[in-house]
Amino acid sequence: MPEPLLVVEDLSIDYEVGAGTFHAVKEVSFRIDPGRVVGIVGETGCGKSTLAHAIPRLLPEPPARIPSGKILFRGMDILKVPKWKLPLVRGTGISMIFQEPINSLNPAFRVFDQLAEAVRIRRLRETGKSPGLAPAMEGFDYSKRKVPKPGDVLAKPVLPSVPEGRKLAPAVDRQALRGDALEYLRLVRINDPETILGLYPHELSGGMRQRIMIAMALSERPSLLIADEPTSALDITIQAQVLTLMKELIEEIRTSILFISHDLGVIAEMADDVGVMYAGHLVEFGPVAEVYTQPRHPYTKALLRANPRQYKGDGPLPSLPGSVPNLSRLPPGCTFHPRCALARPECREPPGPRLEPVSGSPGHRTACYFSEEVATLP
Amino acid sequence: MDAQGRTVKAGASTTPIARAKAFGRWLRSGSLGFYKVMRANPLTLVGFVLVVLISLAALLVAVVPPITTALGYPVQMTPYGPNDLLPCPVVGNRTFCAQPPSVEHWFGTDRAGRDVFSRVLAALPLDLAIGFLIAGFSLAVGGGLGLIAGFWDRPGTVGAAVSLTIMRVTDVFLAFPSLVLALAIAATLGRGTVPCILAILLTWWPYYIRLTRGEVLAVKHQPYVVAARAAGVSEWRILFRHVFRNILEPLVVYLTMDVGTVLVVFSTISYIGIGVPPDVPEWGNMISAYGDYLLIYPWMVIFPGLAVFITVVAFSLLGDGLRDILDPRSRRALAQAEASTTAAATPAAPEA
Amino acid sequence: MGRSRGDLIVFVGKRLLTLLPVLLGVVTITFIFTHLAVPNPCNVWSGPRATQSTIQQCIVNNDLDKPIFNQYASYLGKLVVGEWGASPRGVPVLPSILAAFPQTLELVLAALVLMVVIGIPLGVIAASNSGRWLDHIVRTFYLSGWATPTYLAAAVLSIAVGPLLGLPRNGAFTSTVPPFPQPFHMSVLDALVALNFSGVVDAIAHLILPASALAFVNMGIATRMTRGSMLEVLPMDYVKTARMKGISDFFVLYKHALRNSLISTVTVIGTTMGGILSTLVVIEEIFLWPGLGSYAYEAITKYNFNGTIGAVIFFAIGVVVANLIADFVYGVLDPRVEWR
Repeated sequence: MPEPLLVVEDLSIDYEVGAGTFHAVKEVSFRIDPGRVVGIVGETGCGKSTLAHAIPRLLPEPPARIPSGKILFRGMDILKVPKWKLPLVRGTGISMIFQEPINSLNPAFRVFDQLAEAVRIRRLRETGKSPGLAPAMEGFDYSKRKVPKPGDVLAKPVLPSVPEGRKLAPAVDRQALRGDALEYLRLVRINDPETILGLYPHELSGGMRQRIMIAMALSERPSLLIADEPTSALDITIQAQVLTLMKELIEEIRTSILFISHDLGVIAEMADDVGVMYAGHLVEFGPVAEVYTQPRHPYTKALLRANPRQYKGDGPLPSLPGSVPNLSRLPPGCTFHPRCALARPECREPPGPRLEPVSGSPGHRTACYFSEEVATLP
Repeated sequence: MDAQGRTVKAGASTTPIARAKAFGRWLRSGSLGFYKVMRANPLTLVGFVLVVLISLAALLVAVVPPITTALGYPVQMTPYGPNDLLPCPVVGNRTFCAQPPSVEHWFGTDRAGRDVFSRVLAALPLDLAIGFLIAGFSLAVGGGLGLIAGFWDRPGTVGAAVSLTIMRVTDVFLAFPSLVLALAIAATLGRGTVPCILAILLTWWPYYIRLTRGEVLAVKHQPYVVAARAAGVSEWRILFRHVFRNILEPLVVYLTMDVGTVLVVFSTISYIGIGVPPDVPEWGNMISAYGDYLLIYPWMVIFPGLAVFITVVAFSLLGDGLRDILDPRSRRALAQAEASTTAAATPAAPEA
Repeated sequence: MGRSRGDLIVFVGKRLLTLLPVLLGVVTITFIFTHLAVPNPCNVWSGPRATQSTIQQCIVNNDLDKPIFNQYASYLGKLVVGEWGASPRGVPVLPSILAAFPQTLELVLAALVLMVVIGIPLGVIAASNSGRWLDHIVRTFYLSGWATPTYLAAAVLSIAVGPLLGLPRNGAFTSTVPPFPQPFHMSVLDALVALNFSGVVDAIAHLILPASALAFVNMGIATRMTRGSMLEVLPMDYVKTARMKGISDFFVLYKHALRNSLISTVTVIGTTMGGILSTLVVIEEIFLWPGLGSYAYEAITKYNFNGTIGAVIFFAIGVVVANLIADFVYGVLDPRVEWR
């Protein structure tokens, strides 16, 4: 088994807000191996975005608080890194793409300035002038690169070419920064990168901005890329374009990705592994194909059944009874028991079920006492 | 939360006791923004309590005559008359009128032998009334004109011409530093309280026009206003029900804070020596009279200064808190923080 | 409308044109108040022991026997060609104001520098430590500045703090006539030009107290606004993007976040310029600063009508130009703004 890139162990995150404590994330454990794309899926407010923000320590503390757990990134516990050293982990170590491209680029600076900033940091780290705690990836694995189809509307992908052993230009060389910025804009299939570099974010469309965000995140050559619902705020057609692009890039650049989404379909397309979250708990985790075909948690099953794409017109679209519990007053035991068809008295006993491997399929884990019976549910 | 609270209130509670309990629950549940903010921000509570205390004291000083026997024995709001010249202690052949603070004279006495505490207290109704009067009048005039100027500005109409005129006049008044104009007016009208009030009044309303117009312009293209118009609601009804109601909150907040500002300007004009006559107890007057003796007789300056300071701070804190209570955006932020189902990634963040 | 240089020139030109009606209004209002409210200023001007004939002479000299409208028209006519008249004592108005105005400008600029250099970082510190003790300290500081009446702050600085620190508290120079020429009427600049370095030190020492007083009572505007807008900007995704690039916290705060929150801070400083100039009158009076504020105060209290109107015109120009500069800086800071 390869050395894992990221291990999250028993991570809990609380929000201390006014009257009470909200358990946004509760004892979540999973791992990401190099080159894997891990998707996290769940409803709004299930804690998936909080989880994504917590890994690079992006949550404002307070109100957020991490009472327990470990986030081991390349064997280093990020929760123990002092605050001032965090920038050294971010960037070349962990990079991130956000939900709303309208807000994720700084409106006051040109695209070039923002892109060059990222490239510059990576170069400084590579040349050892400002070594990060987590070095950049050692070049991309191009072996699986797709050959662009002829007549592709978008510009042909041009590879960021940093041959091994090539001496890097000085980190502050503006020409070099510009060259790098252009390369990465081409990588995300931007037709006219020269012009785009001189524009301000408000002069670009949403899809374009998200492409630039992706270029910016990739230009740091991060070993882990976190994508927090990168397409949710886009138009449906643009969404498809950006997803296609990301899918191609995943094939080209085998960087590890943590992909957050509420869309089961998107996760199915993008991810190798999937984790399902409910009310702050990771209730199931495993390879996408397995989780989707043989869900071992009643919530996953219900989620899959509620997908309109699988709806065949036979009666009303199935929906779960009840509603998501209040995060400050979670039900005892298994948080899902009030809405679960399989619930028995022991489901109410604290502590609830922990994520346990499913018998017969390594890598597939679920937090349900009756995982064998899930298949019998309608 | 609100809906829950209401069902509790209107539902099972039939007996008065049950109803009272339900009411208490509803109160504690935080449905009231006021209660919530007070609990969340103790400084607002401080401001609120201070404003109530100050206003109450002012009212008592103003209403209760200097010496009243209503309770059967003489009661006095101010320990001494504000202009009573108290007998000065004589040591040898020199008299010492300026007495430092003591049990008898809490804030000491000034060089004429007047009790500073009584004077500070006696000035309270005047200063506060002027603060409220000028800020309130400015809100009425400036707010009304600003509403007109902001609402009827479609080019080519009579309304637009009126609006334009209002705004040009406002520009002129805004270009004056208010204190300079107030000084000029006060100087030409002669020294006295009324000219001083007139002077501030004349320079104060344009700020409210600018504020109101800005708010109206921000609100009037909101979808709910457009929707109301599309539904055939009359212009006047839109103006009052949809526009005015939605800009009221920032205006009230501004008004609250402005009471303190007016007070400072009023006392400044007195300080400079063209406001109220020197014998009238007024905070600026008192500071002006003994400002040069700051190091020798600090109590004569510090206490009136402290009075202005505390009053302004109180209104400012209350205004800040009112903003939190009234502003739908921060109210939404509070509600969001307590919402049951969603805990956003950054609960403290207002929604963009 | 766009953001080209041509658009900017048109924008500035238009704004300067609107200055004209504003000035006309300002002159008119001041004229009305001075001339209508004081029906016979000659009684004051000529002094208590003036004879009836000198008063009569004064009335004739100043056109006070003519109808008010004629007085207004002739005054306006003279104003336009640069004849701003003289004080009752015969001192011409325009040269006095032209000498006083730069002094005021110097004081305001010094205070602005203090406000920006101290006030804005304080706002950033408060916002980035929101809810913690550092935030409370900063908020207490600017609230106390805001709640302290100008005259009290100035008096305390002048009487208590000044002697304590050994700083001069009156005027712009140690002696009223500095030992070097004053081509600019800005004490520090003049001393610099004259290469008189002890003069520079002296001028700066004189500037410290009044500038601190002016900055202290107005600091709240900059700090409060910076803190407020930083609190709105900090949770934005682009701040997170900047953090995720691996930029240090300092640059995240002062480059990415502050750049965007400055946009509203600048606007507020511009619009409160009127208020800042107001406090100036009191501060100049207390520190005997030979600027426009002292001049205006003296003119107002001595029924120097020409001087009053002249000072008010300069104040109005100051306010309008300050707003224009604020709008310009706003446009420079925010690339989404178009010049119109």
